[in-house]
Amino acid sequence: MATSVTAVSALAVFSAPRSLPKPPAPLPSRQNVVSFVGRPVRAHRRLVAVAASSPATPPDLANKVSESIKQAKETCADDPVSAECVAAWDEVEELSAAASHARDRQKGVDPLEEYCKDNPETDECRTYED
Amino acid sequence: MAAFTAHTSAATSLYSPAGTAILLRSRSRAYPTTTTIRVSCSKTVVIGVAADSGCGKSTFMRRLTSVLGGGAEPPRGGNPNSNTLVSDTATVICLDDYHSLDRAGRKAKGVTALDPRAHDFDLMYEQVRAIKEGRAVEKPVYNHVTGRLDPPELITPPEILVIKGLHSMYDERVRDLLDLSIYLDISNEVKFAWKVQRDMAERGHSLESIRASIEARKPDFDAYIEPQKQYADAVIEVLPTQLIPGPGDDEGKVLRVKLIMKEGVEHFAPVYLFDEGSTVNWIPCGRKLSCSYPGIRFAYGFGAYFGHEVSVVEMDGQFDKLDELIYVETHLSNLSTKFYGEVAQQMLKHADFPGSNNGTGLFQTIVGLKIRDLYEQIVARR
Repeated sequence: MATSVTAVSALAVFSAPRSLPKPPAPLPSRQNVVSFVGRPVRAHRRLVAVAASSPATPPDLANKVSESIKQAKETCADDPVSAECVAAWDEVEELSAAASHARDRQKGVDPLEEYCKDNPETDECRTYED
Repeated sequence: MAAFTAHTSAATSLYSPAGTAILLRSRSRAYPTTTTIRVSCSKTVVIGVAADSGCGKSTFMRRLTSVLGGGAEPPRGGNPNSNTLVSDTATVICLDDYHSLDRAGRKAKGVTALDPRAHDFDLMYEQVRAIKEGRAVEKPVYNHVTGRLDPPELITPPEILVIKGLHSMYDERVRDLLDLSIYLDISNEVKFAWKVQRDMAERGHSLESIRASIEARKPDFDAYIEPQKQYADAVIEVLPTQLIPGPGDDEGKVLRVKLIMKEGVEHFAPVYLFDEGSTVNWIPCGRKLSCSYPGIRFAYGFGAYFGHEVSVVEMDGQFDKLDELIYVETHLSNLSTKFYGEVAQQMLKHADFPGSNNGTGLFQTIVGLKIRDLYEQIVARR
């Protein structure tokens, strides 16, 4: 009994795996914690059960933003006060706003729910109707 | 339903012919349908909000829809990139949908989204008027991801229509349709601090690019968007704090927020502190209430704003306890709350929203309550 309690507490202490993939990846954290039981304790680990970093911009939108910034810098290098330069920076602003809204939409997303949508048969996602 | 809308659009925009048409149709049925009765005798209340925060679920919209009841979501089954939010009582439409030039078009002409040449004000006026009169419209959709105009979506007249965008009060005809108009005026330093917070994590952005973007848009902003301030019934002005001396707080965390309310607006009674029509300077922190640095300072007064008489309530500083919030709410009057502590309750409900501990959240919540009050007064009059 004592050993199982310590095993459980050891599980609780060991935090997220070393290389946590960015969301919305499936939940390797839960599986990997089990494999950590035998490993040495790492100091200064924050207790994280699920990937809790802030959501990233969807990659296509992020690319668009960086492309538009590059473009704006090029356009403005030729003539800083032209209408094209102003329009280019306006496009950067529009895309940055869209990226920020996309990130906000991602915030409410629960990684476990996302994973279970695609993999309902896994252990974490099993539901019981007793 | 399609035949019904076709009939009303064929009819003139005057009330009685459409009204009689509806009665005839309902008489031919065995029972009156609730939808037909609603369209014939209720007019939508239209609120205009001018803000530079793009077309997403901004904090102000979230607070507003929360006060009005129910969460706002994009229309179900529609375009996933739709800018419209629909809740039980309110629909929020984003005026970017009325772009006459898409992103490629604007680039070719060297025109920003702030420029009125990129907007179709005639269509905006026609559709807002149609919704106000109770007719459904097919509103175009501007897709911010692709930068193109998508096929239109159907908007049915809600009880409250909120039009949000940069040009809500630009066109005179649209202005006349608004029952209440609100302008969010963010000062340059605060705007820069907020944009840095928003964009620094974005790959490709740097402080220089953020600054360059703001600077480039400034001329068009000052020429086309700023002048709308004079038409607004309520202005929420966000400035850097005066409580921290010296260079102070350049992260824009502590803010000084003013709520400027026009006098004499129908169904809109300005908020006041202690004594209406006087000038008050109030620091609630003291023996009864203890606040942490930098504290809270309130001011109330009246004056002129672009030639109109206004009342101004101002808050500088931050709340960090529930006590402070309730204490302040007790001393403000004309809040249009339905019960004591409603403002505090609304602020706490959304404690994770930005601005929940300062004047932005407080005044946005109060404006939301004022809108609800205005709507109820208009409905009661019918």
